[in-house]
Parts: sequence; C-alpha cells; structure tokens
Amino acid sequence: MVLVRIWIGIIFVLSGTQKLLGPYQNFLYIIQSYQVLSRPWDTVVAIILPWGELLLGIFAILGLWTPWALRGLLLLTTVFMAVVVQAIVRSLPIQECGCFGEGLSFPLPTTLLLDSVLWIYIAFLIIRLERTNGFSIDRYYLKRDAQK
Amino acid sequence: MKYFLCQTMGQDPKNKKFIALAVVLFCIAVIYGLKLAKGSDPVSSGSATLPRAKGNPQAPLKIVEYMDFQCPACARGAFFLDDLLKNKPDEVYMEVRYFPLEGNHRHALRSARYAECAAQQGKFWDVAHLLFKRQSEWKDLINADPVFEEITKSVQLDMNKLDVCLANEATTDALVKDKQEGQSRGVRSTPTYFVNEKMVVGSNSLEEELMDFFGRVKH
Repeated sequence: MVLVRIWIGIIFVLSGTQKLLGPYQNFLYIIQSYQVLSRPWDTVVAIILPWGELLLGIFAILGLWTPWALRGLLLLTTVFMAVVVQAIVRSLPIQECGCFGEGLSFPLPTTLLLDSVLWIYIAFLIIRLERTNGFSIDRYYLKRDAQK
Repeated sequence: MKYFLCQTMGQDPKNKKFIALAVVLFCIAVIYGLKLAKGSDPVSSGSATLPRAKGNPQAPLKIVEYMDFQCPACARGAFFLDDLLKNKPDEVYMEVRYFPLEGNHRHALRSARYAECAAQQGKFWDVAHLLFKRQSEWKDLINADPVFEEITKSVQLDMNKLDVCLANEATTDALVKDKQEGQSRGVRSTPTYFVNEKMVVGSNSLEEELMDFFGRVKH
C-alpha cells in the first residue's frame, strides 16, 4: 500500500513537473482543445493545475497530510476523467491528452482507461488509510503523539 | 532540505504546517531554478529566413511562426495572417520557421522541403499558400509528390534546380535547424507564434492576441 501511494505520488509529480518546465502556453493549447473553459479561466487553469499536481504528488510521496493529499488527487483524477469523457462524446479532434506535458501522451480512450485505474487505486488508498500511512511523516507524528 | 525537515520534525507536531510550507517553497525554488537553468533564447530575425519573411520590417507587430504544412490549424492561421497582411501591410512583419511534426504527419518533412526549395527560388509564399490551400488533397495520400510537383510547376519554379535542391542534404539541415531552434524555445506543437516575442500557441489564441494588440494600439 505504501509503495502504491509513492508510485501514485510519483506519477503526479512527473506530470506536473513536465508541464511546469515548458511554457504554460503549450498546456493552455491542450486545455483549449478540450473546449470546456473560456478565456481567461483556461489560462488560470493552465498556470495553476500543474502546481496542484506537483504539490499533491509530493505530499502523497512524503505522506504529509496524506488523507487530504489523496482526496485532492482523487478530485483531480475525477475532473480529468470527466473532461476526457466529454471530449470522446463530442468527438473532439484531440490527438494527444496532454497528460505528461512534453514527455508522454496517449489517445483519449487509453487516457480514460489509465485514469480509471488510477482512480480505483487512489480510492482504495483512501479506504485503507491506516495501511497507506506507513513510512510517512503523518505516521511519525502519530507515533510521537502515542508515546507522549 | 533534509536537515531542515529533520529539525522541524524534532519539534512540536503542530510544525507539520511548517514542513508543508517548506515543501511548497522547495518545489517552487526547484522548478524556477530548473527553468532558469534551462533558459530560452530570444526570438530574433535572421538572414537565413529572409525569403520566408514578408511585411514591413519596421512594423510594430512582429510575428515569428513555427509551422507544419500538414497541420490544419496552421492552414487556418496562415489564411488569417494573409488577410491581416493584406489589410495592414505596414503594421505587420512576419517570418516563418519550419517545425515539421513527422510523428503525426506523414508528409510534414517532404512538404517543408518543397517549400524550402521554393524559398531558394524566391517563391516561398506562393508555394506555402498553395500547400495550405490544397492540404486536404494531399494530406491523406501515400505519395504526395505528384501534388507537390503540380504546385511547384504552377508557380513556375525551375524544376531542374528544384530536383537538385530536394536531393541536397543541406535542405533537410535547414529544416532540422529551425526545428531544433524552436524546441530550444519551448515550441512543441504547431502552429506556435511569437507575437512581439510573446509565445502564443494555436490559431485561436493568435486571433485573440492580435485583437488585443490592435485594441491596445487603437486606444
């Protein structure tokens, strides 16, 4: 469970970092291709979302405020899935998902499948939180509190 | 960082907030440090692209475009810019750089080679216009050369010179150089424009950016 938590954290850290290291306009172009947000909200999301992915991913890896980090990641994944589903339903001509910025990209059905798997894993981690918390900063504090 | 985390952890559990803050600040520092180290060259005009430039070099609006002839959004952008240059010839200057996306577009490199060879005979804009105008005719073909040859003949290129140019490795080198230069500036997809150095991706964003620009100029 701990390894799964760290693995999911790494996925989000890589995804956020890839987007943050390139110009935000590239991610903005991908957001615009999903035709969900209007100006200037698309720009706001293009700038903020990669930071959310990076920070929630780091928090999940470190096990810092783990329940909140995992809930945040679940919310992000749910939003990604909803956006991809509407793009598939509307047959939008999107060639790449933009999931990993300049690093790696998948067609929409593959993206939906991978997001669904990720969603199930995150939901499972939240349900089994006491086992997820090993090797975490949260656990360190819990132990300290118990010793006191 | 590790030292800081250990120090903070050794104090009151309430200091989790400080750890979280330290993590956030650390991430911001790393990302901006990496971006700074990576750097980005300013977009400047070059003599090599002169045959692929048009408009007034002293114009207040300078556009550098990275394009792929097989990309539909590039075609839309090109027609939009053609109209703009017709309506405001003194206010706009533009240059084209190649950014063939061979992974997605089968004829991206080949069409760019034809355009570059046309540029060497001073006919870049004629060929570029026809490549975009007839894009739907050739983009799905297995061999698009017959259409490209028809286009180059229709603008009266010297076909012997064209054949020599197409076979010349230096032609490909020019395309690769443009693409590498674009990548170093963060270009990833087409069409990507630098409007007075500001990066704009996609023809819709270009239209919005230019509306903003001319709105600002009016006021």
